[in-house]
Amino acid sequence: MFNDSELSFATGEAEEALPILHVDMDAFYVEVERRRNPSLVGKPLVVGGTSVRGVVASASYEARLKGVRSAMSSVQAKRLCPEAIFVSSDFSTYVEASKEIHEVFFSITPFVETISLDEAFLDVRHALRLFGSSESIAWRIKNDVWETVGLDCSVGVANSKLLAKLASVAAKPQITESGVSAGLGVKIVREADERSFLHAHPVRSLWGVGAATFAKLESLGVSSIGDLAQVPVSSLVSVLGVAHGKHLAMLSKGDDSRSVEIKRPTKSISHERTFEVDIHRYEVLKSEIISLSDAVAARLRSKGLVGKTISLKLRLSDFSLVSRSISIKEGTDLSGQISAKVLGLMAKVDFSDGVRLIGIRITGLGTKGPEQLGLDYESFDQTESNQLALSVTEQKKLAIAVDKIRARFGQSAINPGASGKNFREPGQQRWA
Amino acid sequence: MKFRCERDALVDQLTASSRAVSNRGGALPVLTGVFLSVDDDVLTIIGSDLDLTVRSSLRVTVIDPGKAVVPARLIVDIVRSLDSGAVEISIQGDEAKISGGRSNFALRTLPVDDFPILPQPSGNKVTVTSEALSYGLRQVVMAASSDDARPILTGVLLSAEEGGLRLVATDSYRLAVRDLPDATVLNEGQKVLVPSRALNELIRVLGDADEVVVRLGDRDVTFDVVTDIGSVQVTTRLIEGEFPNYRQLIPSSYPNQVVVAREPLLEAVRRVKLMAREATPLRITQKLNTLELMAITQDVGQAHEEVDAIYDGEELTVAFNAEYLIQGLEAATGDEVVLETLDALKPAVLRSNSGGDFLYLLMPVRVS
Repeated sequence: MFNDSELSFATGEAEEALPILHVDMDAFYVEVERRRNPSLVGKPLVVGGTSVRGVVASASYEARLKGVRSAMSSVQAKRLCPEAIFVSSDFSTYVEASKEIHEVFFSITPFVETISLDEAFLDVRHALRLFGSSESIAWRIKNDVWETVGLDCSVGVANSKLLAKLASVAAKPQITESGVSAGLGVKIVREADERSFLHAHPVRSLWGVGAATFAKLESLGVSSIGDLAQVPVSSLVSVLGVAHGKHLAMLSKGDDSRSVEIKRPTKSISHERTFEVDIHRYEVLKSEIISLSDAVAARLRSKGLVGKTISLKLRLSDFSLVSRSISIKEGTDLSGQISAKVLGLMAKVDFSDGVRLIGIRITGLGTKGPEQLGLDYESFDQTESNQLALSVTEQKKLAIAVDKIRARFGQSAINPGASGKNFREPGQQRWA
Repeated sequence: MKFRCERDALVDQLTASSRAVSNRGGALPVLTGVFLSVDDDVLTIIGSDLDLTVRSSLRVTVIDPGKAVVPARLIVDIVRSLDSGAVEISIQGDEAKISGGRSNFALRTLPVDDFPILPQPSGNKVTVTSEALSYGLRQVVMAASSDDARPILTGVLLSAEEGGLRLVATDSYRLAVRDLPDATVLNEGQKVLVPSRALNELIRVLGDADEVVVRLGDRDVTFDVVTDIGSVQVTTRLIEGEFPNYRQLIPSSYPNQVVVAREPLLEAVRRVKLMAREATPLRITQKLNTLELMAITQDVGQAHEEVDAIYDGEELTVAFNAEYLIQGLEAATGDEVVLETLDALKPAVLRSNSGGDFLYLLMPVRVS
């Protein structure tokens, strides 16, 4: 490992290293859709929100100009921008594009921390001797992504993740009153400019400043990060508590020592679905549970994980949230076992007013350990013929077969008969 | 109601009946209690969760006949806590008074009229030697599943085989089969599935008796046992449904047969198991005239032991759940056992080297 001084010596440059890059794709889903269908270029485009209850997954800059934002309801988006073209999201294509983009990142350095499909941090300190300064690496990435994938991205370059992330936002195309103007593409935050760059940002652009924290900070007269840096730590601690107060005080001084984490271990896997109309019928909810369990189990298996805590989330028609969970002794990656537990949880919930959203999450994840094999009974208890009655051995065989079929013919090639639904693609409407 | 009896005998009978009582009582709160009735000179104690009913009786000195339902857990704990000697129980209004030595308890009773009328045993009486049945049941009952999600596997299959009785249990990871050649309980071709929970209770009471009378009804089976101090009757509902076809799982021949002394292997497995923590299996390597046992738990440690055996087949390692292996070795009879394997992923068979009455089929653990 090099330390910074050795590194400067090694590269023969007196220039500071600025090792952290934040790469963020510009209107990722929108541009992937336009790459597939060039007639959409230049038109206001909204990805997602094609159903009545849907939300906007991504909006083109033309639509953003009219005020459309991601996570906005499609109804509101249509009101703001009636001429917008809505296309439903196609996650498998986005996942593919994301993989191609990551190939570009990995051609520079293995130190890549994926944040989402369209966003990643890179630590390039060990790539400087190969590829030159981090500024030139940033441009190289931008060009390579454009040439290999045909998509635009913005790159922030700085000494920390906090600054790099703010810098990539600053590099993005800007929406002004006169329209959309091209962004810088690459924004470098040098050490000498760190304070002024950071302090000019509104305090809400800091991680950990949500609506509640912002309201408290506002009461202290804080609106920019510069304001925040002026507030004594003791005042922040008294308003926000010790941990949060100290943390924000450090961030306001640009003090962010988090490193680029190559692999974030998966802590939970979840899938959820918002219904177009409130659902009252148990049978509909049951088939959705089977479908969601299937998706969760397939993701577990694809990662070689098993989970021990199974949770059910319901948003009822009055928007109240119901969460129930149950833990099992031995971790599972089988949809039948997951759906059986969720149906058990469901039995204890009063959903007579209707269900708006249903979600299943599994936590307590661990790698699959030694597996006790089961005896292979040819025909077993034919009086119970539904999936939940399959023996564990049969469920395991079923899962292996399903995984093989999906690997060969695609995710939607086979689905649980009881679900009546298509397979949920990775990335589709997850809840964290 | 008022009676007097010996504390020790009362504890035994109360315990037997209360074991059928469910802790929750379910839809009938009165079922959290035991039903007591005295007439002539006999106390009858009934505990039931409607699936399993245990009626025990005991000769007592009756002062006043009558009946009552008393909270099961409490009365067992109270009577057990008393010193040996005379115990007197009387019911006054809705209170049960229990006194022994210088201790006096009063506890609220449950409404006696709420206690359900339980079906009476039906079917022809068949008398069986209790020792053979008790031993046979103990050999298989541990292989039954405790997972209520698959009710069929929580039972033990009793089937008539070639004039004798065959007992079979499986939790889908292992299978235990025991033949009792001389026991004629069922008609030829008949088979019933008895909940293992009821059989565990039966095993407890069989120890003190010479004979057991079996009555098989359409939906239930009753076992009557007479002991030194009284009698115990276990009635259980039968499990409905088809038991898995286990016969096809038992291979007719195995390429790798190891003959090994049972007790030394059992002790070695118990030692090595100490290092088979959590889900870690115990690995058995079959080598020339040796069984090599090994357990490795990451970040904890490992154990290794060799046991003499008779073997000249190819070297093969198979991993097992150590507890399942121990239960199989405990259940097998005779000084020597035969361990038969096919490969690391196929079921292995454990049986006695001397007789063919017991067979234990065990699935391996897959290790990556």
